[in-house]
Amino acid sequence: MRRTSRYLTPGLCLLLVSLAASADATHPHLAPIDAAQWDRAHAAHLLERAGFGGTPAEIDRLTALGPQGAVRYLVYFEGAPAADLAPFEHSGIFDPGLDPFPPSRPATTKLAEETGEALGIKVKAGGNRPMQPIVNKFFYWLRASMLETDRVSQWWAERMLLSPRPLEQKMALFWHGHFATNEEKVRDYRKMLQQLQLFQASGLGDFRTLLIAVAQDPAMLAYLDAGVNVKGSPNENFAREIMELFTMGVGNYSEHDIREAARAFTGWNFVGTDFHVNQDEHDDGEKTFLGSTGRFDGVDIIDRILAHPATPEFLTRKIYRFFAEDNPDPELVAALGVELKAGGYQLRPFLETLFLSQAFYADSAMGTRIKSPVELVISTYRKLGLDNLPGAPDFNLVTGALGQRLMHPPTVAGWSYGRSWITPSQLIERGNFALNVVFPDIEFIPEDRYPVYPTGDEIRSVHRRLRAGHDMAYATRPVDAASDMGESMMAMSNQVDREEAFNTRYGSYRGWQMAIERVKPIERDLARLDLSHMVLTQELATPRAVVDYFITRFFSVPLPDDVRDALAGSFEENLGTADVLASGTNMEEPLRVLLHVMLSRPEYQLG
Amino acid sequence: MRNRRQFLSQAAAVGASAIAPLSLLSRAAEAATPDQPILVVFELSGGNDGLNSIVPFGDDTYYQLRPKLGLRQEKLLQLDEHWGMNPGLGGLHRLWNDGQLAIVHGCGYAQPSYSHFTSMAYWHTGSPNSGDAYGWYGRLADAMAPSAPANYLVNVDTQQSLAVTSRFHTPVVFDEPERFQRLVLRSEQGVMNDFETTETGNPSRDFLNRVARSASEASLLVREAWRNYRTPVDYGLVPLQLDKVAACINAGLPARLYYLGFRNNAFDTHVQQANLHQRLLTYVADAVHGFLADMERLGMADRVAVMLFSEFGRRAGENTNLGTDHGTANVMLLAGKGVRGGHYGQPPDLTALDETDNLSFTTDFRRVYATAIDGWLKADCADQVLKGHFETFPIFAA
Repeated sequence: MRRTSRYLTPGLCLLLVSLAASADATHPHLAPIDAAQWDRAHAAHLLERAGFGGTPAEIDRLTALGPQGAVRYLVYFEGAPAADLAPFEHSGIFDPGLDPFPPSRPATTKLAEETGEALGIKVKAGGNRPMQPIVNKFFYWLRASMLETDRVSQWWAERMLLSPRPLEQKMALFWHGHFATNEEKVRDYRKMLQQLQLFQASGLGDFRTLLIAVAQDPAMLAYLDAGVNVKGSPNENFAREIMELFTMGVGNYSEHDIREAARAFTGWNFVGTDFHVNQDEHDDGEKTFLGSTGRFDGVDIIDRILAHPATPEFLTRKIYRFFAEDNPDPELVAALGVELKAGGYQLRPFLETLFLSQAFYADSAMGTRIKSPVELVISTYRKLGLDNLPGAPDFNLVTGALGQRLMHPPTVAGWSYGRSWITPSQLIERGNFALNVVFPDIEFIPEDRYPVYPTGDEIRSVHRRLRAGHDMAYATRPVDAASDMGESMMAMSNQVDREEAFNTRYGSYRGWQMAIERVKPIERDLARLDLSHMVLTQELATPRAVVDYFITRFFSVPLPDDVRDALAGSFEENLGTADVLASGTNMEEPLRVLLHVMLSRPEYQLG
Repeated sequence: MRNRRQFLSQAAAVGASAIAPLSLLSRAAEAATPDQPILVVFELSGGNDGLNSIVPFGDDTYYQLRPKLGLRQEKLLQLDEHWGMNPGLGGLHRLWNDGQLAIVHGCGYAQPSYSHFTSMAYWHTGSPNSGDAYGWYGRLADAMAPSAPANYLVNVDTQQSLAVTSRFHTPVVFDEPERFQRLVLRSEQGVMNDFETTETGNPSRDFLNRVARSASEASLLVREAWRNYRTPVDYGLVPLQLDKVAACINAGLPARLYYLGFRNNAFDTHVQQANLHQRLLTYVADAVHGFLADMERLGMADRVAVMLFSEFGRRAGENTNLGTDHGTANVMLLAGKGVRGGHYGQPPDLTALDETDNLSFTTDFRRVYATAIDGWLKADCADQVLKGHFETFPIFAA
C-alpha cells in the first residue's frame, strides 16, 4: 500500500482501505498449493495455461520441479534455456516515400494533384493516367502490408510453438486481445510488429510501464485516431477506450472525465514508427480528472487511473479469466486486485501467486477453459511434438475461420473468449482442422499468392482481360460479383480507352502483383507426423492402451469408459487386429483416423 | 478450399449424413412458438449509396452534387412528389405501393467512422465509437430468451457475424446447408457423433457436449429443412440466402431472429457505379420481395419483418471515377405486412454538408433497432439491449 499511496485522494483511500479490509490477510484460496499434492495433472494444467501445453517429456520435467520450481521456471524462466529464436525476417517492402501514408486513396491522389507527388512518386508529365503509378503504389502498400502482417502472425505462432519460455508468448497473446489493434486500420505491418514486440518484451514487467508504452505506441495511436486528437478539437476515442477497456471498466468515470483525459492526450502522435508529441497541438491547460485538478498530460492521467481502485480489480478479473476460469469468485478477484496494486502492478510476482494458488488448481478451474482458436492450433502442434509450424493448413486462415485471426481482432474490445468461441459450425470447423493436420488437404491454395477474399475475383478477372489484350477501361469494368455470369455479361469489344487521371481497379490489380513480388512467401511444408513411432516407443500393445495414451497426451479431461471402448473398437476394426505392436508397418493410417476422431471431440476443446 | 470441401462432403455424404429421424423436424416445429413475430436483419456490406437508392429528385442540390451519377426523375420509380426509387428497386417499389415499406432517413451516429471494418463493428455491436464483446442481436437473443433454447438465433453466412455473438445462445451459423457438415471419413462414421449426454459437473464440458449435439442436430435440421423446401415464388436472379431463411421458417424452426447479408463489400462502389449499383439493388429488392411473397404463401406474412441497413452511406458528391466514396448518414428500410409504410426521420439537408462533404445524420440508427425490438418483436428490452434509451418510430402497430 505504501508504494502507491502518493497517488491517492482521501476519498479513494477510504475506498481502498475498505477493500483491503474485506480482503484482509488475502483470500484463503490464494494460499499456495501443497507441494505434496503436486502431480502430473497439475503440471500439465500449469503448462497448458501458462503456455500452450506440451509433450509428455515437458510435463514430466515440470512435475519433477515441484510447484515452486515449475512456476518459477515458467514465470521467471529459472532454469529455462534462452529463447534462441530467429528475429522476424523482413521482406523489405517499405521505402521512405510511404511515410506518412495518406488515410485513403482519394487523399493520396488529392495530395498528388496539389503537390505533383505522393508516396515518393512524381505525377507523370504526360500521357493518359498520369497518376497511375501513384495509385498502383497506394494499393501495393495496402496489399503488401496485409501480407507481411500475415507473415508477422506466422512468425509469432512459430514462437508460441517453439519458445522454451511460452509464458512470454501467452502473455503477449493476452495483451494483444486486451490492447486490441487491427492492421486493417493501422495499415502498417511495421507498427503491428513493433507493438507485438512490446508485448513480448514487456508483457511480464509492470503494468504502468506497459500502459504508458501502449499509450505511446504508434499502432495504438493510429488505431485510435490520435492524429485527430488536437488542442481545441479533442478526439475522445483513445481517452474513452483507455478507461473503458484497458483499465477501469464502465461506470467508474464520467463523460466529463473522458473529455478532460482526451485534452491531456492531445498532441500525442507518431512519426513513422516513433512516438512524437506535437507540442503545438497539446492542450497544456488545467484539467479536472477523477476529482483532481492540474495541468495534466497523458502520463498524469495514466497515474490517476492506476490509483483508482477499479483498475487493479478490472485488470485482475480479466487476467484471472484468461488464465484460470471464466466465472471467478468476486472476493478472490478483489483480493488479487489488492495484491496486484500492493505489488506496484508488477506482473511476475502477481502471476507467481496466481499460478501457485489453490484456486488455480480447483475443480472449477482445471479442465474447464475453452481453448481459443490460437491456443487450440498451437497446443495441438505442441502436443504432437512438431518442431516446425505447418504452412498448410495455413495458420492465419484456420484461426481466422475459427474466429481469432491475429492482428485482426474484431473490435477495439478484443476477443470475448470463453463460450463465444463455440458455435455449432465452429465446433465442426475445429474437427475439420484436425482432419487437415492428420491428412493434408491436397487442394489447399495459399491466399498469400492467390488472392481469394474479398477482392480476388476482381483481381483475377482484370488479370485475364488485360492479358487478352483489352484496354484498361474495358479490363477494369466491374464484374458482377453476385452473379455467376460474370464477364460474359460484359462482352463489349473494341471500346475506346477512356481518358482519366488514374484507374483504381488497375491500381488494385497492379498493387497485388507488386506486393507478391516483394513479400516473401510463407513456406508451405506440412506437419510430418509419425504416430506409429509414438505408439511403438511407448510399447502400446492394445487398442485401448493407444486410446488411453492419446487421452493422456492430448486431453485435459478424461473420457468416459464407454467412449474409450467405442474408440478402441473402431481403431481395432480399422487396424484389422487387436495386436497393435504386430501391425507396426501399417498402423499409421488407422492411428491418424483415430486421432482425428478424438481431436474432433467436444472434450478436446477444453484446456 | 471450397471444391475440396464439396468433394469430401459428397464423398462422405453417402453414409455420414444418416437420414434425419422423422421426429427431428417435427420436434423442432413443436418447440416453435406459433404466433410470435420473427425479425430478419439484412446487411448490405460495403456502404450502400442511399442517395442513389432513395432519390430526392425534388432537390436541385442532389443534381448539383451528382452531375453525372444523379438519376433523372423520369428514370425513377416514383414514390411521391419529392422522392423516387432507383429503377433497380422494383420489388421494394411494389412493397411501397402496398404500404409495406418504411423508409427511415438520415440514419447514422456522431463522429462517424469511414472504415468499413470499424463502422460495421459499431453497427454490429450497437456501440458507436466504442465496442462490445457481444453483438446487439446476440444481446437481444439473450434478453428475449435467457434460457437460450436451441436454434433461436440463425446467421446465414460463411462466418458468424459479430452482431449475433451472444453470451447464452449458440447461434446456428451456416452458409450452404449441404456443407454445414463435419468432414467425416467412412472409417470414422461409427464413432464420430458419439457425444456424452449426462452432466459431468464441468459446466464448460456440458456446454461443449450440448453444442456438439446441437451441431449435429442443427446441421441435420438445416439440411433437411432445405431438402424439403420447394417454392414457386421468384426470388430474382440471386436469392441472397433469403430462400434459406424461408426454408427454416417453413420447417418450423423455433428461430425468431435471423441475420444475413449481401456479402463481400459488394456495395463499395467507388468506380463506375451506376449499372453495378442498380444491379445490386435489383438483386436485393427482388429477393426481399420474393421472400415476403413466399411468407404470404406460407401464411407467415403477419409474423415476419425485414430490416435492411448498411455500415454507412456514401459521400454526397460523386467522385471523378463515376463512383462515390465512403460517407455517413443513410436510409434504413423496414419491410413486411406489419409495417406502416411511409417516410420516417428527417432527411439530411443536402445544402448543409459537414466539413468532410458528408451528410449530417439526423437519426441515431439505434432508434431503428429499438423500433424493431420493442415495436415489432414486442420484446420490451430495447433499453437493456442498446444500453440506453432510444425513441422508437411508430412503424409498427402498438
